[in-house]
Amino acid sequence: MKVGPFTSLVLVKKRDLIYHIFLIWISIIPVALEYWVYWQLLWDYERPLHFYIFLPLLGFVMYLTAVFTAMVFAKIILIFVNFIHKPKEGVFLRDPSDKDYRYWGLRNVIKQWPFWLTHRFPFPFLDNLAFKLFGVKTKFSNSLFEGWVDTEFMEFGKNVVIGQGSIIQSTIIVGNLLIIRKTTFDDNVRIGSHCLVMPGSHIGKNCILNSWSATVVGQVLEDGWIYLGGPAQKFKKNVFFEEDIKDKIKLRVDNLEELSQTYDSQYDKWNRKKIKKEKKEEEKRRIMQGL
Amino acid sequence: MKMTENHETEKIQGKNDKNNSSDANYIIDFTTSSAISRVSIKFLALYIPILWLSGLAISIYLYEYFIRLNFVKLERWIPAILYLPIALICMYFLFIFTALFFSKLFLILINLIHRPREGIFKAQMGDPDFEFWALRIEIKKLVVWLMRNCPFPWMDFIAFKWFGVDIDSSSHLQDSWTDIEFIKFGRRVMVGQAAVVMTSMVVGNYLIIKKVIFNDYALVGGVTAIAPGTVFGADTVLGAASITMPNQVLEPGWIYAGIPARKFRPNTVERRDIIAQVDVDEGTKYDSEHEVNIDKDKQDLLKTKNNSKGE
Repeated sequence: MKVGPFTSLVLVKKRDLIYHIFLIWISIIPVALEYWVYWQLLWDYERPLHFYIFLPLLGFVMYLTAVFTAMVFAKIILIFVNFIHKPKEGVFLRDPSDKDYRYWGLRNVIKQWPFWLTHRFPFPFLDNLAFKLFGVKTKFSNSLFEGWVDTEFMEFGKNVVIGQGSIIQSTIIVGNLLIIRKTTFDDNVRIGSHCLVMPGSHIGKNCILNSWSATVVGQVLEDGWIYLGGPAQKFKKNVFFEEDIKDKIKLRVDNLEELSQTYDSQYDKWNRKKIKKEKKEEEKRRIMQGL
Repeated sequence: MKMTENHETEKIQGKNDKNNSSDANYIIDFTTSSAISRVSIKFLALYIPILWLSGLAISIYLYEYFIRLNFVKLERWIPAILYLPIALICMYFLFIFTALFFSKLFLILINLIHRPREGIFKAQMGDPDFEFWALRIEIKKLVVWLMRNCPFPWMDFIAFKWFGVDIDSSSHLQDSWTDIEFIKFGRRVMVGQAAVVMTSMVVGNYLIIKKVIFNDYALVGGVTAIAPGTVFGADTVLGAASITMPNQVLEPGWIYAGIPARKFRPNTVERRDIIAQVDVDEGTKYDSEHEVNIDKDKQDLLKTKNNSKGE
């Protein structure tokens, strides 16, 4: 699965390649240097044992060096870019002539290589570090590894878990517009698998989002509820943070049909409205005919 | 509770208030995710020995390879370069399989200290079940991640088998997120792309671990979410973009679809020359002819195990 921190490459130009090449080059130089120093220190034709024993460890250190150098230099470029044009929220024109759109694309291009590198590690630790370094407020206890998470204008509390294959956005392109709005997550939020969180959403404390749910732009989810549906609606209160309810928790579905109806009403809101409208019109027609 | 202006949501809230009679609240009839729930940096200490030990295997290989390479003579260089691709592939697999071996060793040790078991546990640091669950996942993740990033499709099931999952090579789960414990696979199970098979789920302060069972010929559609405790009968098909509820039992020989998964129609195979199509916009059905390219002497192969019994 190709998942990871999401850096959009909508506005890629050939000249942006220069940032990639620069960052890749600059992050490999210290790696090569490290290897050279290691070679000088430990290589011995007579006794090559030391060299080969510590080589795997060096490989690990070399990977970390590449990650950190890429992050530091990307951060430096980013500071310059942000100094020229400060990133801000709002609705912008999706056109290269729009400065905000241009710089948004540029920021994503710069972040691409370090985030790609950090995501090669099978554990969320380095991803969180990169998020932190690039100005996203997050904690090391968060698990943002299995979904596509935007890398700017995000804010996370602690113990946030993003489910497999979820898409967490703070920017979206709609037609000819680029919308950037800050998405915030409070503590202990759990996002299910295959969810879609749109820009400007606020997910309250202790919220649970069911699998296959979606929020609309700027939706606010209240603290301590379980939400489901598209757009997400309240399903029931999240009581699972109470103490000593281990025996009360039940893993069963009593009445699947009733549950299916509840789910249908939550998932198919727009369709239901349409059906209601049609029914009302039909009634009107009948009344008119009867008269 | 803040009442919103929206009439629709008010209705649903009212409905939920009725349901909120203590008992119904504690039933888990929703599905979230089974991603790593708490990231602890101290677990990282396990990766370094595993990476080091499996790196040592490569080191030995590299040493052997270079010791045979005479840097002076040209005719020694040519075979060395010719064999280099094979050597690289060998090193790659050597790394993966040594990592698998040492992960398994660690896993055996950890399982001796604390036996993995199903049930509902407290999801807090300090609870042994939760901590060992996180540790197990973390150890398995490295190897499974290595195998997932390998372009050979049959690699996954080797790791699954080594980590004690009941599976054989006829099942296919390459492109899905599948938890690596408490799963049982029958023959020829296919798990679709981006499907999430969860055997563990953290809900609030509680960790739920329950076994998922796939019987023979079960077929899971793409982008589905399978909750802990789901049982797939033989020949069951789950449509794409569906969710199963915890402890849901899908009956054998049915096609299920929807959120939550419900019976769609029986999964019977019959010879049909005319296939119905639905025009979605108009809401009408019409027939369209398809050529059925199955030879007459091979018709009986269509019948699967379940159908031949006549269930």
